[in-house]
Amino acid sequence: MTVREVASPTRPVTPPQTPETSVGKRPAWLETLGRWGAQAVPVVAAVAAALLVSALMIAAMGHDVVTAFDSLLTASFDTQFGFVATLHRWVPLTLFALAFTIPLIAGRYNIGSEGQMLVGAAAAAGVGISGSGLPAPVLLPLVLLAGILAGLVWAGIAAWLLDQFGVNEILSTVLLNFVSFGVVLYTAQHLWPDPVGGFPMTDHVAPAAQLPMLGSSPQFHSGVLLVLAVSILVILAIRYTVIGYELRSVGANPRAALIHGVSVRSVAIGALVVGGALAGLAGSIEVAGVQGRLLEGMQSNYLQLGIIIGLIARGSVVAVPLVAFGISVLEIGASAMQRSAEVPVQMVLIVEALILIFILIADILADRITRRRAARAAVVQKLKESSA
Amino acid sequence: MTTKTQAVGPSSDGPLLQMSNVVKRFGTVVALNGVDFSVDRGEVHGLLGGNGAGKTTLMNCLYGLYRPDSGSIVFEGKPLTIRAPRDAIRYGIGMVHQNFLQVDTYTVTENIVLGTQVSSFPRFDLRAARKKVMDLAERYGLNVDPDKRVADLPVGVRQRVEILKALYRDARLLILDEPTTNLTPQEVDALFDSLRAIVDAGTSIILITHKIRESMTVCDRLTVMRDGQRVETLVRRETTPRELANLMVGDQAVIERVAVAVGETEPESDTVEDKAPKEPSTTKSADAESASDDEASAATTDVEAAEEAGVEEKPADAEPASADETAADTDAEAQQDAPAGPIRLRVEGIDVPGDQGAVAVHGCDLTVVSGQVLGIAGVAGNGQVELAEALAGVRRPSAGRLSVNGVDLTGRPVRDWLAAGVTYVPEDRHRDGILTTATIADNLLLGSQRTSRFSRRGVVRWRAVRRTASELITRYSVRASGHSAVAGTLSGGNIQRVILARAFSREPDVLILHNPTRGLDIGSTQFVYDRIREVTASGAAVVLISEDLDELLYLADHIVVLYNGRVVGRVPRQQADRFQLGRLMAGAEAEGREDDRP
Repeated sequence: MTVREVASPTRPVTPPQTPETSVGKRPAWLETLGRWGAQAVPVVAAVAAALLVSALMIAAMGHDVVTAFDSLLTASFDTQFGFVATLHRWVPLTLFALAFTIPLIAGRYNIGSEGQMLVGAAAAAGVGISGSGLPAPVLLPLVLLAGILAGLVWAGIAAWLLDQFGVNEILSTVLLNFVSFGVVLYTAQHLWPDPVGGFPMTDHVAPAAQLPMLGSSPQFHSGVLLVLAVSILVILAIRYTVIGYELRSVGANPRAALIHGVSVRSVAIGALVVGGALAGLAGSIEVAGVQGRLLEGMQSNYLQLGIIIGLIARGSVVAVPLVAFGISVLEIGASAMQRSAEVPVQMVLIVEALILIFILIADILADRITRRRAARAAVVQKLKESSA
Repeated sequence: MTTKTQAVGPSSDGPLLQMSNVVKRFGTVVALNGVDFSVDRGEVHGLLGGNGAGKTTLMNCLYGLYRPDSGSIVFEGKPLTIRAPRDAIRYGIGMVHQNFLQVDTYTVTENIVLGTQVSSFPRFDLRAARKKVMDLAERYGLNVDPDKRVADLPVGVRQRVEILKALYRDARLLILDEPTTNLTPQEVDALFDSLRAIVDAGTSIILITHKIRESMTVCDRLTVMRDGQRVETLVRRETTPRELANLMVGDQAVIERVAVAVGETEPESDTVEDKAPKEPSTTKSADAESASDDEASAATTDVEAAEEAGVEEKPADAEPASADETAADTDAEAQQDAPAGPIRLRVEGIDVPGDQGAVAVHGCDLTVVSGQVLGIAGVAGNGQVELAEALAGVRRPSAGRLSVNGVDLTGRPVRDWLAAGVTYVPEDRHRDGILTTATIADNLLLGSQRTSRFSRRGVVRWRAVRRTASELITRYSVRASGHSAVAGTLSGGNIQRVILARAFSREPDVLILHNPTRGLDIGSTQFVYDRIREVTASGAAVVLISEDLDELLYLADHIVVLYNGRVVGRVPRQQADRFQLGRLMAGAEAEGREDDRP
């Protein structure tokens, strides 16, 4: 009856495919689906645009675009080996992205997942080497736990500095990364050095400290299942628990959360510490599942990729594992692309960066389009009313 | 038009300003829907409407802050295109906003000339400008010291600076956006006298307001807006507050009740008469009270005027006397109320630190019993925010004790205060009240997330949350697509409804409300008043901190006045009158009182 009511935002609603949640009434899940659809459209468009621009660049460099893309996108699925490599890459990327995203939901920035992973890996290697007499059911959990605890403590330092002295967590987490390089060197060169290794690395951990391998050859390590479980747990915790709700409320408005009884301090500390624990878990899985030891440089570029994944997922813990998988496919496809089309591996970083940039652009465009459409609908409605 | 009272310089060539068919949209919202608006020469034209009616938007279009999507503006007979405030100023249109845009470290004169041409060769010379400012100030009774730093001036004076700024630029049309929000009644009177002088000198004024009483006092003509449209333009002499309220709300059922609040201290007897027989039976007692209040205030106004004169003659005697009077009131009140019900909130001598660490509230004692509304009056910035946060357990007092239902909660975490039944509606809703990126359901859950009603063993019972959210959206008529609508997309008034729905639905024992109805339209305001009456009837204690004296006089059982962080007066509602409260709010009696203290 009034202008304002008519003008309520009209959301693009996609037709329902599968009823996702049994909770709530029909309009609730319909709207949720619609929101997901609305969220997916700009992502798909951004990926397409990024690939298009990359194709132009590859062509400009004089390489065969079709061959390059064929190997980039299908290397993960053409062979068993490629798929296992993709899964093994997906594990740390998912954990790194969660280590970034969980504090982000509370409005905090963890840029120290690299350091948290490295101290986690060092602790895991230490336990795995020195506990060599223990049986697997005892030693393996200890190894994983050591990594988690070390990452937790490492992030805890930054959290404590933030809480006690207001030290910006971006600075402290980044700087702690550099400290962790020293921890790696000390562990690999003084505590349990491998004398024959060409560069800093520890001895092998005991076989009982290694994650069981699954499947037929090539096998994948059971850390994949562990991370799948962790991802689901995180999603459920953030969506359905009181703590998850408080985490989101602190991120949305810390003042309002504080006034309504949420302990903003403990939420911020908790978010950073949980992020650190997940990064530490990534460290122990790399040790127990992939490398079998601690070695310098094992963190690769996971920190940067984790942040990119977290930003592409836009703080949604549901999207993180999916985006991480997509990025893993690109990462594994990169070397195949170099082999078959002689496009340098670095190209894949450009693709990833372009996806992020286009998603940011798509966000703005989508917002403008919905607004304009809604405004037009409001006017049409008004005209109808006045003629009636 | 012929009944215009202040017929100064009769319009020889049509109206001063003619806005035609102005349309303005913000995204999905049509804020102005083809508005026609005209202002004559030499009149105060009131622009009246509730929250979201579009009055400020219309004026921002005129002042060049917004560009209208369509429509035309004709000023002094010439069609204008106004792209920016700079254009508006050049054409002779000035605007005083609710938030002043001033350079704190500059003097009054420097602020006024800022942005104009001043001779700067051979030296930067403000003498002529200063002279002009002083002349203007004297002519219109806008007393300011042109050499004072703006940062040292109280709000009322800073507003005068802003008006002088427009007059200095030879504004022939002056727009004032809710100018009385932060003023005491005395300051309002002085402002209105100045406005009259400005209009008599030939400048027209548009007064944006949602207060009916004010517009009846000062305006020559009134335009009422609702939902982005002009409803009606009326000559003041030919209308009544009741008619205006009617036009603003457009809902007869609400008007019936609103008339009590609006017309309460209205001197025109016809409004009192015509509302009495039509009142619904439920508000009869309130009505009777208001009628007796009318008589009382009519009687005391004279007394007050005499007293005021007396104060001026011999302040040394008069002030301590009135301070004693209020102290005596306090005792009488305490004895009277002892049996009224159990004490819900007891505040003993708290000092509350401000954001900068300095003490913002000094030695405050308050007691609120079940079923009572304690009003806290005062001009904004006298410690209200700090006191409110201390009462809600958000801000820790540096001295003193607070207890709720007899349990000492001093220094305990907010969670304990919530569990004890304390609920707080903060003044700054965007900063303190709402999760803008979260859904309405999320927002309604905030503060109750750990109650057994909405969570079990650490898991949120979303089904219950959503069901309750949908109920509250309907009950509080929040205009939204549903409980999953994002709160940030709602209008200010609707956000406040969400916040109030959350507060009242907690069924609090102690409810702290800070300016709960600011920016709400009349209908919503009355709805809030009804809820307040409802919770007090069910035994809650309410602390109502408000800048709106009408609101306090309507709702509060006792009114406490806060000045400079101290309680400077306590008055039971029956003995309260606007002018005494105004004097207390302005700090007129504070000095004498402070002298009594050790």
